[in-house]
Amino acid sequence: MAPRSVHHAGIRAAKGPPLRFDFTQQDKHMEIYLEQLPQQLVNGLTLGGVYALIAIGYTMVYGILFMLNFAHGEVYMIGGFTGWWVLHLLSRGSVPIMHAALVISLMIVLAMAATGALGVIIERFAYRPLRQAPRMNLLLSALGVSIFLQNLILTYQGAKVRFFHVSSLIPESIRVFQVGHVVLSFMKVLVIGVSFLLMGLLTVVIKRTKVGKAMRATAQDIEAATFMGIDVDRIIVLVFLIGSALGGAAGTLVGLLFTQVDYYVGFQAGLKGFTAAVVGGIGNITGAMLGGIILGLLESLATTFFPSAYKDVVAFTVLILVLIFRPSGLMGEKLPEKV
Amino acid sequence: METIESKTAWNKRDRILLLTGLVLLLAVVPLLMPDHYWLRIQTMAGLYIMLALGLNVVAGFAGLLDLAYVAFFGIGAYIFAILSSDQFGIHLPFLLTLPIAAFVSMGFGFALGSTSMRLKGDYLAIVTLAFSQIFKLLLLNLDRPVNITGGVNGIFNFDPISLFGFRIVTPLAYSYLIWFSALIVIAGCFRIKTSRYGRGWEAIREDELAAEAMGVNTTWMKLKAFAGGAFIAGGAGALFASLQDSVFPNNFNFPQLVIVYCMVILGGLGNIPGVILGAVILSILPEFLRQYGAYRMMSYGLILIILMALRPQGIMGSVDFLVRKKKRPDKDETGILRDSTDLYYSRKQKYMGADTLYSKGPRVFLDFQNVAQDFGGLRAVNKLTFQLHEREILSIIGPNGAGKSTVFNIISGIYAPTSGGVYLRDRSITGLKPHQIVSLGIARTFQNLRLFSNMSVLDNARVGQFCRTKSGPLSILLHLPRYRREEEETEAHVKEILGLFGARLTGYRFDQGASLLSYANRRRLEIARALSTNAEILLLDEPSAGMNPQETEEITRFIKRLRDIHGYTILLIEHKLDVVRAISDRVIALDYGRKIAEGDYEEVARNEQVIEAYLGRKRA
Repeated sequence: MAPRSVHHAGIRAAKGPPLRFDFTQQDKHMEIYLEQLPQQLVNGLTLGGVYALIAIGYTMVYGILFMLNFAHGEVYMIGGFTGWWVLHLLSRGSVPIMHAALVISLMIVLAMAATGALGVIIERFAYRPLRQAPRMNLLLSALGVSIFLQNLILTYQGAKVRFFHVSSLIPESIRVFQVGHVVLSFMKVLVIGVSFLLMGLLTVVIKRTKVGKAMRATAQDIEAATFMGIDVDRIIVLVFLIGSALGGAAGTLVGLLFTQVDYYVGFQAGLKGFTAAVVGGIGNITGAMLGGIILGLLESLATTFFPSAYKDVVAFTVLILVLIFRPSGLMGEKLPEKV
Repeated sequence: METIESKTAWNKRDRILLLTGLVLLLAVVPLLMPDHYWLRIQTMAGLYIMLALGLNVVAGFAGLLDLAYVAFFGIGAYIFAILSSDQFGIHLPFLLTLPIAAFVSMGFGFALGSTSMRLKGDYLAIVTLAFSQIFKLLLLNLDRPVNITGGVNGIFNFDPISLFGFRIVTPLAYSYLIWFSALIVIAGCFRIKTSRYGRGWEAIREDELAAEAMGVNTTWMKLKAFAGGAFIAGGAGALFASLQDSVFPNNFNFPQLVIVYCMVILGGLGNIPGVILGAVILSILPEFLRQYGAYRMMSYGLILIILMALRPQGIMGSVDFLVRKKKRPDKDETGILRDSTDLYYSRKQKYMGADTLYSKGPRVFLDFQNVAQDFGGLRAVNKLTFQLHEREILSIIGPNGAGKSTVFNIISGIYAPTSGGVYLRDRSITGLKPHQIVSLGIARTFQNLRLFSNMSVLDNARVGQFCRTKSGPLSILLHLPRYRREEEETEAHVKEILGLFGARLTGYRFDQGASLLSYANRRRLEIARALSTNAEILLLDEPSAGMNPQETEEITRFIKRLRDIHGYTILLIEHKLDVVRAISDRVIALDYGRKIAEGDYEEVARNEQVIEAYLGRKRA
């Protein structure tokens, strides 16, 4: 896609009408806060888009297999590394050898392809043999995959942080710009644009296509879906493919946004993505998108009040509170236990 | 999953010999270590045994995926560090700091557990993971504004331990101290596993809902497992801190947890000797693979994946060369098969002479008042009212989906009704939890069999006695007289109950796994398990389902005997109308959650609406 159009769309999204506040008498703190609000909303939306992409992977797998895919955070991390590696290959020094739009598109597409394949492999070797096993065994196997992947990258890439040299990709004029009080950057607009585009695509696939219908059927009742002639194994593979690819895209997008990746990023991101999925109601794809955005917004608004060292504590506290008071999340439904 | 172990028949002399040998061996091993380096590995192995066994209580016994375990280890270590260093100038003796560390850690376990215990397995995992992350963030950041944890630098330079005048400073002394503690933990784990606690946890792991319906307070028991694990981890943490003479946040990070998990999984969840072996192997093995150091954590990941796929029961699972098979009780000394139905007949003889047969009384035992139950838009039970009288056999019939099982689920507390109430002898039991209802004397069976499949027949029945026994952790760990008495009574009681079924469930079958029983015997065990809760009112959900005609007839007679001879009050759901006709005092017919007929069998069977519900409307 052409970066220019994305950037216009992004500005429009950021400049929504509800952000205009007109309070005349407020104490100073509130004033500063309100002034910062549009900026925080944009930051929140950027983060939120990424969290939503990660959350979708958790929620799709959970929706069908009722398992928490611990390895999903690592898939995200490998997505980030793939993006970095593509950028690295396509740059000489720190200057890209192709048109920037092409480089960025390639980064995202290849990251999605690599992580999609990775997701399928994980499913085949670590989860499929355990489909009939107790849930705890599946969880432990997932934990094993997570540790394995993390240390695989640690072994071959080392512990050092890899930097995305993106500054040369983007023309100076649109690298950072300002709309009203809001500081925007090309990357923020890109991240918002791409993540919402992917979410839109997924929604269309799930709601409008035959495969989407098969997925929804499998999520409702895996046995009944089998009897209706749906190849459930194929659907599960597809779910892992799509979920992991979206996670990989998120990895590269975050790499572009914060310009770095290391072997340990998957852990935090995975927890955040899971939190988002739970907030939205695990198993519900629209819920995961919503949950991601809400979590992103909450987190960036919280930085106004708390020292940023405790930023992650906010997300985890949200997670624990939601789990305790509304474990079915915003959009999840509560089903009575079948006796 | 661990397989069923046959009861060991170690006699006292064997045990003393074995223990003495073991202690001697452990006393000699540290002396054989070639240098301090290996002595330290040997010491760490002891520490890991403790850690792995603590985790085994939570993850192995109770089946909870606790990812905050390493945080409890850290809490113990930091508590020790704070209480015996210059950090705050507090210098308490070790004999005080060790229990404080363990109990504070247990307190945290309780606090975390009580907020998250209602959550299902995966959610619990993620909440505990988040907790351990928060813990680590706090360790790293609580050096400002007040220096509590020392931040990245941790806390170091602790007071040397002194026990009863002996100062523990040399590596050798530490080795003995830690292995001594490990032995205590091992002994404690063995004792708790065979107690009512161990059985309660195992039942929860096998089938949580069935455990609750058999009178196990599942929330409380899971919380106890959680806290118990935290207790051991906290104690181990204090020992570790003292051994290392320093604590850093990195000692308690995620990889550490993974190592301990690998030990438990390698040994087999819940299998104590296996876990010990797993801990020893994974403490020593990496030393031989040091040139492949970078691959170490990777291989832990692989170990988890491969074990889960190929050998989820661990290395020690179903290896029972260590276990002496119990003599089959149905064989006499010469090995000739004895009449295994002895028990059956002896009991029968006893009741042959009983000339008072119980029958339906006038008092109302269970009053089901105007109850409605909605599931979303579906009204499964609709303003239903009926009474169950003293020593009555009342049958509920009706087509599929009529709401029969829902009625059982409401009485047994699995569902809280949308409106209306259930009264047991005028006392409202609406909204009580299943285990509370069991302790009031109402027990149930499940239509689609929910036995604890990997537990023995005897243990399945023993779980029923859980709510009738009171021994706490202290009496179990110290084998106080109260515990011994309760165990003896439980054993005698459940053997008597199982004896009602004669050879079907007695003799060598006592130690057989429930999953090895024939289908009909599993149905019988369901009933036996319900009986062993000392219930007065039995809710039997299709007891004859899937049985052949002979078995059906036998179970019908058995149910009748339960009332006539033993005086139980019975509420029965049954599809086979022959059974209903043969034993019911009264019959209720349900359709679409409503009562369409009530009365004796003949009355109900002739009722137009009932015929219509079963066979459809006649063409006019």
